[in-house]
Amino acid sequence: MKNQITDLIGLKIYSENGMFIGEVEDVVLDIDSKRIDALAAGKLNPEVVEVKTHKGVKIPYRLVKSISDVIVIRHIPHMFNSGGEL
Amino acid sequence: MKSILARSLSRKQIVTNDGKGIGSLRNLMVDFDTGLITDLVLEPEESFDTTGYTLDGENMLIPFEAVRDIKDFIVVDRYLARM
Repeated sequence: MKNQITDLIGLKIYSENGMFIGEVEDVVLDIDSKRIDALAAGKLNPEVVEVKTHKGVKIPYRLVKSISDVIVIRHIPHMFNSGGEL
Repeated sequence: MKSILARSLSRKQIVTNDGKGIGSLRNLMVDFDTGLITDLVLEPEESFDTTGYTLDGENMLIPFEAVRDIKDFIVVDRYLARM
């Protein structure tokens, strides 16, 4: 189904086990492969992601399970312990 | 791999590979299931003849396949754009 890319901006991101992770602030596009490469997430949940030196994290689009009223991403154990790029 | 932030594309000018201005970018259509970018949604310039192009109200759609490159402008192939 086709959607507007601006519909993604501001959506809340949750992991599949229900943890709030952050909000979509921007979308990283890969022009060569004509795909969404990653979601740039901000307003991060400090309990999940350590935010000291960076404002956001990039969540690879392959981790996205579904997009509707919120975005659900796959949960990978220890994924968010160190923060930074996944 | 060339990656670009979607917000940086906002209002970017779209030109054809033969140097003709078409309009400015309004949005991108994507397939959320596959992550593929399918179309450019743009606002055509008043002087631009939109005959033969896909229109959606005031906006015009150009298949993303037609995009040659994106730097200061979005350059589209003038033949592929008309589908």
